[in-house]
Amino acid sequence: MEAHSFLSKKGFNVQSFGTGNQVKLPGPALDKPNIYDFGTTYDAMYRDLMQKDYELYTQNGILHMLDRNRRIKANPQRFQASMAKFDLIITCEERVYDQVLEDFENREQNNEQAVHIINIDIQDNHEEATIGAFMICELVTMLCISEDLDNEVDEILQRFESKVKRPVLHTVQFY
Amino acid sequence: MDRSNDRSSPTPGPSSKTNIRRSTAAQFFNKDEEADKATDLGSTYDTVVTLLNDAAVMSKSAEKIASLRKAQELIIHKSSDLLDNFLDEMLAFQSDQSKDVKRFIIGFMEEACKKDFECLPKVMPSMVMLLGDDDINVQKKVILTVSSMFRLTLAWISKTKQTRTEMKEVWMHLNEVKNLMYDFLESVNDGIRTHAVKFLEGLTLTLSKRTQDSYFYVLLPLVNLPPTLAKSQVSSVRKNLKTQMMGLLKHSASLDFLPQISTLLTDLGASQSEIDEDDDGLTPWVDRTSKKSKPEPAQKQTAIDVTAEDILPRLNPQNVTDLVLLSMVMLPDSMPALFESTYTPVAAAGTQAQISHIARLLATQLTMAGMGKGLGELQMQALKSEAEAEGNKDDEQPASPKQIIQTVVGLKTDEQEQQPPSKKLKMSQLPMPPGVRKIKQFQLSHATKPLKEKEVETMATLALERILKAENLLEFIFSDLRSRQDLVFAWLYQEYANCQGYSTAAPGGRSSLQGAVAGSYSNCLTNVLAQLFEMDDHHADMLFHRVLLEAPLLTDNAIIIVRKYCNVPEHTEAGMKTLSQLINNRPAHRHRFLEIMLEFTAHEKQEIRDLAIKAAKALHMNGKMQEEIEKYANQQLKKLLQPKPPTPLGAKLEDMPEAWTEETIKAHLYLHLGLLPSNHKLIHELANVYTATNADIKRAILRVLESPVKGMGMDSPELLTLVENCPKGSETLVMRVIHILTDKAVPSPQLVERIRDLYHKRVPDVRFLIPVLNGLSKAEVMEALPKLIKLNPMVVKEVFNRLMGSHVHGDSMYQSPLTPVELLVALHNIDPNKCDIKTTIKAANLCFAEKATYTQEVLAIVMQQLMEQDPLPTLLMRTVIQSMSMYPRLTGFVLNILQRLIVKKVWKQKKVWEGFIRCCQRAKPQSFQVLLQLPVSQLKDVFENCPDLKEPLLEHVQTFTENQKAHVNKSVMTFLEELPEKDNEKIDIDSQVEQQEKTPGPEPEVTCLGNSVENNAVSNLTAVKTVDSSFSSNSEKTKSGGMKTSARAGSRDIQDRENSGEKEQGSDRENTYEKERGSKDREESKDRDRMREKGASQERDRGRDRAGSRERDRGKDKDGERDRTREKEVEREAKERVRGRDRDVEKEREREGEAIREREREKTQDRGRDRDIDRERGRDKEVDKERSREKDRTRERSKERDRVRERGRSRDRSKERDRGRERAKSKDREKERGKEKGSSRDVDKEKDRSYDKERDRDEEKKRKDESLRPETMLEKITIKKEVEDTVPKESNAKGEEEKTPKSATAQTSRRPSSSSSKKK
Repeated sequence: MEAHSFLSKKGFNVQSFGTGNQVKLPGPALDKPNIYDFGTTYDAMYRDLMQKDYELYTQNGILHMLDRNRRIKANPQRFQASMAKFDLIITCEERVYDQVLEDFENREQNNEQAVHIINIDIQDNHEEATIGAFMICELVTMLCISEDLDNEVDEILQRFESKVKRPVLHTVQFY
Repeated sequence: MDRSNDRSSPTPGPSSKTNIRRSTAAQFFNKDEEADKATDLGSTYDTVVTLLNDAAVMSKSAEKIASLRKAQELIIHKSSDLLDNFLDEMLAFQSDQSKDVKRFIIGFMEEACKKDFECLPKVMPSMVMLLGDDDINVQKKVILTVSSMFRLTLAWISKTKQTRTEMKEVWMHLNEVKNLMYDFLESVNDGIRTHAVKFLEGLTLTLSKRTQDSYFYVLLPLVNLPPTLAKSQVSSVRKNLKTQMMGLLKHSASLDFLPQISTLLTDLGASQSEIDEDDDGLTPWVDRTSKKSKPEPAQKQTAIDVTAEDILPRLNPQNVTDLVLLSMVMLPDSMPALFESTYTPVAAAGTQAQISHIARLLATQLTMAGMGKGLGELQMQALKSEAEAEGNKDDEQPASPKQIIQTVVGLKTDEQEQQPPSKKLKMSQLPMPPGVRKIKQFQLSHATKPLKEKEVETMATLALERILKAENLLEFIFSDLRSRQDLVFAWLYQEYANCQGYSTAAPGGRSSLQGAVAGSYSNCLTNVLAQLFEMDDHHADMLFHRVLLEAPLLTDNAIIIVRKYCNVPEHTEAGMKTLSQLINNRPAHRHRFLEIMLEFTAHEKQEIRDLAIKAAKALHMNGKMQEEIEKYANQQLKKLLQPKPPTPLGAKLEDMPEAWTEETIKAHLYLHLGLLPSNHKLIHELANVYTATNADIKRAILRVLESPVKGMGMDSPELLTLVENCPKGSETLVMRVIHILTDKAVPSPQLVERIRDLYHKRVPDVRFLIPVLNGLSKAEVMEALPKLIKLNPMVVKEVFNRLMGSHVHGDSMYQSPLTPVELLVALHNIDPNKCDIKTTIKAANLCFAEKATYTQEVLAIVMQQLMEQDPLPTLLMRTVIQSMSMYPRLTGFVLNILQRLIVKKVWKQKKVWEGFIRCCQRAKPQSFQVLLQLPVSQLKDVFENCPDLKEPLLEHVQTFTENQKAHVNKSVMTFLEELPEKDNEKIDIDSQVEQQEKTPGPEPEVTCLGNSVENNAVSNLTAVKTVDSSFSSNSEKTKSGGMKTSARAGSRDIQDRENSGEKEQGSDRENTYEKERGSKDREESKDRDRMREKGASQERDRGRDRAGSRERDRGKDKDGERDRTREKEVEREAKERVRGRDRDVEKEREREGEAIREREREKTQDRGRDRDIDRERGRDKEVDKERSREKDRTRERSKERDRVRERGRSRDRSKERDRGRERAKSKDREKERGKEKGSSRDVDKEKDRSYDKERDRDEEKKRKDESLRPETMLEKITIKKEVEDTVPKESNAKGEEEKTPKSATAQTSRRPSSSSSKKK
């Protein structure tokens, strides 16, 4: 979402998704997360958590995050449920990358359009998210400038990879 | 035309309206409302025309597309009948300049074709044209579209009953596209390539027959990616492969390929659990496929299984290491990106699961490569069945083996050709079983055409000849060893073939050429080996090893090189490994290799020797060549018997060793010792050699014995036999063995049994028993105890440690035969005939030192038990005193004991009685109660022995109330009441002296006595005995002398003793003189008694009280000071004692001289004044001088004293003393104070208090001294003798100790110096 908001500000046409079955937010303990359906609005989550433990969720930044999110869009979306077609999909965790690939495997493919799927590992915390947003923006900008993305994507990715010093996974799938 | 078309075509009438509505509703353009309305009005046609016109004139591609999209919407979805009308118009836009428009049109084409297949013929040419477009994106779009076009076309064609020309045309076009597509696969542009591949994928899927396992012609060995890929690319690709493979696994048809896929997946980094998870998912349809009965894959599975099972037990560390080392050679110089990116440390390394996994992986690979046990078995089966079938597969089958063999170096073909037919048959079994034809493992042999056999042969020969003719083949090989190592072997084999006359290259008679050619082979091998040897490179080492192992024949020269190789320490390890393998694998020269190896086991360099021994041990342990190795070890061992060590391997003549050194001994020993754990019988040989060797070698043997014996363990029957037999001369060895065995462990019953036997029947050396003490019975330990404590103090300590269990930690099973209590009690009960008291005391002291074990509770139990015995143990009181000083809290208990001892008539045992008195002395004032319980005669005895008890006791009694006094024994009471007068009288006499000298009293006497007696004890050993006898005679005399005189007689007695001690034999004359003097004294004291009876006893009491308290106060003041000075004195004394006895002797002489002088003085003076004698007796030389000066005054004072006596003696006495002190000169102050009668008591108290400290210090000192004692350093054997030597002295000293425990400690601490002086 951080990257979503960042990229939106830069003028990209962005959407953000989750790939799990539910939306999980950190709870009072590691084994007690707050779980919501994808239908639940960010606003509802915000209010719910505020009522549950205002101190805790202010302190760990969840409320702030939800506040940001609810200004971006109403509620979280699930990737597998989305029928929209993209030019580029960026995942921030290898597990998610796998899930996306699996989803493509299961989709009805019409070979209409190629899509690049790129994974950059970003840890799930506020700090990393901010750094990650910058990195993603940089990558997207690089990819966007490219005349012939399909041809150049490998080189761009290598350049990017050597720059950020993080492993990158990439594959092409077709809608 | 077709159903779908029919279905989707709008039906006229009312339903069309709803259709239209729905379709418009589905639209996402809101602006289309107008259009909708227009359609509603039936003017769709017009709208489309307008839209198209607009689009044509519009300049911006976006607007154009918008219009076109609307048009598309209308003609395809809304009124598809218009499609045909406008298709051409729409297609006209394909030539538009904008690529976006083009792409849109392509999309439109697809849509149109989906709608109506009839469009295809019209669309296809445009497609082909667009494929050639300049713009890449357009091309890509076309490529993607074409694949769906393909599908559509197929659907179209398949649905028609009759082929039409249009169809053929379309197909032609498609073929054209397809061919173009192949070209695109080579395109420079990645995007195009990707899309082309995608197209082909679609094409394959479309054109393939849809069967269940249709996908599985996919070739799997994709995992070996081209090295040009970057890291991230590699990981991405592998990631994809993994995902795909997982997908495959889920597919039912993948079952047959499960092993391959799972292997690949593991390679790709998927965990076993992931794979297993997917395996579980398979189960539902496993049954289904198994019904289909595919025998081949099933067999394949078992082939791998069988091989895996075969491999699994072989995966021991040794083999794995070998495997890894061998494959090291094959590794590339730099790490491939592929490996680097995917390498993850093996998490579960070493676990059973991982090992079996590896076994399976290996099995899979082996099976793939056509090797392995499982495969062999299967092939045997297959062969049998095939033999029966004898069918059409014949021509197929032999094809594969040859291909495989031919891929190896050509030479092998030659060799194989010459092998006997039976072998050939075997070879042909190696390749893949006939059943697995289905798996198309990628192999070069499949892709290439096999050469004709003759061609192969000639080419191979030619190549070989070319290589052989190259002049510097060796150089050539060694310039790039890694990649050319195979050449080495090829060469060697060729040479060998030549020399054996096999080769076609060396025609002619085998025998005639053999000599020369054999030489060439030998040269070749030697050269290669030598070169490899010289190269200092790990790879060369590996190759050296391989060459030796794989060379067809090893020549003598080669063996020499091996020997040289092993002689270099850096290579020894590898060399030994090679040797062991050679021994294992090359039976022909086995013995020679073994010989080399064994030679090295006695090498002078330790690192080489160790490695060789290790190798030999490993061989021996594996059960190979045991006999030879043992024989050699024995030979080596026996060389120890020679006077000089033999020339070591590789040593020059001039540095022939002269004598056995530690190193050379070890060199000869280690092999034998190393073999011990694997063959226990060898120990006997060792024992035999041991008995025959000299001391140096024996020592060396004992030193290195530990680890092998530990390796053998306590239960080794051979060891037990050794212990049982214990060859004469090998006792020390056996002893050492036993010690090692029991070092950390509880001895086993068998061992204990053997040692017991040995001890009782053959070697009655008690030291044998020490290691197994804990295994012995209580009675046995008790029996051995006297002998045990006679040993070296260190050994005794060890014994006690064992008995107290402090050397075995955390062993709950452990049980000492003796409890600490029993041990100490047993020590007390040791028969003095078996072991002198002195030793027993030492042993007991060791016990006391173990404060953790001997707590006060334990000691209390010990004392309890001891005093219940009859007769009382001699050392009882010593222990009591020691316990009391260790644990002052025990005082109460001790008093209790003392009381009970009285009941037991303790005085009957002299030693114990003396101890009793000492103890009372120590335990005062609490002990007074006990003393009062003594019969009078004994009480007297106490006072005689210990005069300083007298007064405190009296004081104590006087504080009694009448009631309390009533409880005291009458006779004792009367005795006590009589006592003070005599005492006071004496005090009076002393106080006279005091007035002159400031301090009188018996204390100096006692000190003097202690010193002189001690000194005598040392200087003349018989003296003490005399003292004893005189003492006893005196005490008898005293008894007869009556109650009143006893105290006096006591002091006289002491003097007697002193005198007799000084005179060394005691002269009768002196004795009679003393007696005379004693009777005079008695008379006098009677007088005094009478006088005193008249005197006011009350006043006296008060006076004494006052004086006592004053004295005590004074005493306290001085206490600190005295304490310190005393401490210093003691320290100094101790030092002096250690330093040497010379001074002591001097002092002694001085004292003797003094005493003689004194006696002379006495003789001259005693006739005139009896009292003066008393006075003079206590005096020192210095005092003498003073006294002579003050003689006149003394006379005055005597008159005065007479007066004073009448007034009340005690008060006066103190006053006088005060006066006397004033008068005392500073010169004599210290001394006088010490002699002062009153303060002498204080001193005594003080002494008692400081005794503990002193004792501790002394004991510490003693311990140190003992450890420093030269005896400790001596050999155990000599100790016994020495003990005998010292026995008489010690027994005397012992007597002394019994009487005076206080001085006993001093005595013992003095002893070391005495013994050292003796040595001088």
